[in-house]
Amino acid sequence: MQIFAQLIVSGISLGMIYAVIAFGYQLTFATSRTLNFGQGEALMLGALVGLTLVGHMNYWLMIPLVLIFGALQGVVVERVAVRPALKNKSEFGWIMGTIALATIFKNVAENIWGRDDLKFPSPLPESPLTFHGIHVLPMEIVVVIGALGMMLAVEIFNRKSIYGKAVVATSNDRDAAGLMGINTRMVITFSYALSSMTAAFAGVLIAPLTLTGATMGVVLGLKAFSVAIIGGLNSGMGVIVGGLLLGIAETTTGFYLSTGYKDVPGLVLLLLVLAIKPAGLFGKTVINKV
Amino acid sequence: MLQVKNLHAAYGKVEVLHGISIEVPQGKVVTLIGSNGAGKTTTLRAVSGMIKPAGGEIRLNGKDITGLASHKIARTGLAHSPEGRRVFATLSVTDNLTLGAFPRLTFGRERGDVQGDLNRIFELFPRLQERRNQLAGTLSGGEQQMLAMGRALMLNPEVLLLDEPSMGLAPLLVEEVFRIIRELKTRGITMLLVEQFAAAALNVADYGYVMENGRISCHGPAEQLKNDPAVKAAYLGAAH
Ligand SMILES: Nc1ncnc2c1ncn2[C@@H]1O[C@H](COP(=O)(O)OP(=O)(O)O)[C@@H](O)[C@H]1O
Ligand SMILES: [Mg+2]
Repeated sequence: MQIFAQLIVSGISLGMIYAVIAFGYQLTFATSRTLNFGQGEALMLGALVGLTLVGHMNYWLMIPLVLIFGALQGVVVERVAVRPALKNKSEFGWIMGTIALATIFKNVAENIWGRDDLKFPSPLPESPLTFHGIHVLPMEIVVVIGALGMMLAVEIFNRKSIYGKAVVATSNDRDAAGLMGINTRMVITFSYALSSMTAAFAGVLIAPLTLTGATMGVVLGLKAFSVAIIGGLNSGMGVIVGGLLLGIAETTTGFYLSTGYKDVPGLVLLLLVLAIKPAGLFGKTVINKV
Repeated sequence: MLQVKNLHAAYGKVEVLHGISIEVPQGKVVTLIGSNGAGKTTTLRAVSGMIKPAGGEIRLNGKDITGLASHKIARTGLAHSPEGRRVFATLSVTDNLTLGAFPRLTFGRERGDVQGDLNRIFELFPRLQERRNQLAGTLSGGEQQMLAMGRALMLNPEVLLLDEPSMGLAPLLVEEVFRIIRELKTRGITMLLVEQFAAAALNVADYGYVMENGRISCHGPAEQLKNDPAVKAAYLGAAH
């Protein structure tokens, strides 16, 4: 029982990382019905830029700079890989565009930071805290708080500010949003900036807990994508639940079966959701009376 | 005032507007009538920038707005309540109305009294006030139409384009919609009204244009069109 509780606790912080990357997928899907298949690379770049910066400054001061870097990187993705496809009404151009750009980012990172995994210094003590015999790393708590805080901040922005409402309006009906005087092209660029910023943030959160390197984003990006599908591409609650399900499924299978099988439950879950409820566990279809 | 001169528009390679000229003078209500597929909606779309015109010229208060993106046209004071209402389903009634004033709230257009205007919209549409916290997607068709009109009015527009505000509504609601259009007219709001109920539209309008196959087939003062034998035969038979 104690071990099981420990596995769940460890699964939670992993799950929240999946959730926050999946949330990034949702942000661009909402406004433009496109996804950045380079989300994992946005995370990786955030972590590596963060790693370089912590050589010169405090971890917590580095975070805002990485957020700015992430946002700019997202703007580049939108301008280079997505906008041309949207302009030409090319239905699938953005898929190849974002994948190609992701590959380039990975190569660039390999050239700058090398192919080997690097150690990211932890800003907090690396000895676990113990509650009732369950160990938690301080950094794991930061991950959970940071991920939830990021999602909450975006949610509050969307609900309370006029610009956030403009983003929601664009997600609802882009043409009608244009009639309100909203520059929907800018909204889409903004959603890419926010999405990559979220991923870069996830990168610097998880980096101290794992190894950092040019390939770290590939698997994370893919798993977060399946979380977005499992939870539903339009449900904030869905990615949190989906992320936690996957995170906990991985830590428990890793322990009870074999670490060799730890990716299997998530994929089984993904296949089950696709077969039974393709809109995702929490996916909603919008009511729009004519 | 709104001036449209020799407007051409196409979907892909198929031209559907072959040179439309319309004038909507300050403070007047002008109606555009015509059968299904004549090109009325396309005309409004080309004017508000939802589609790019293929030719011609559009001026609002003398300023050339031809070919501008729709958000820029909205900022010059042209409001368009589109066909099918297009309310923001996952936002509340109040948020939908607030977004109508987006340019005023974000320095795209003179701010004025946004809160006061919101209250005036609620006075004009008491149903919306009752439902102000409800999501727009859960409103009835009639309420969504009121919301679409209210949202457009929140721009404080120089000219208001209304595309078939009575479409799909029960007779009692159609009457309500026309009552509101008449009320807006007495408040001096300049309107271009597209309607399938030609008789009702010509009753409220000062001037009318009849459209057929992407062309204006005739136009004149509303009184005169109402009594024109050809217009009567084609458009005023069934409706009312
Ligand atoms: N999105 C579209 N794509 C292609 N053709 C369209 C589109 N919308 C309208 N049309 C065509 O353009 C013509 C004019 O349509 P429309 O402007 O909607 O007419 P109305 O509003 O008078 O009923 C019709 O022949 C219609 O089939
Ligand atoms: Mg129409």
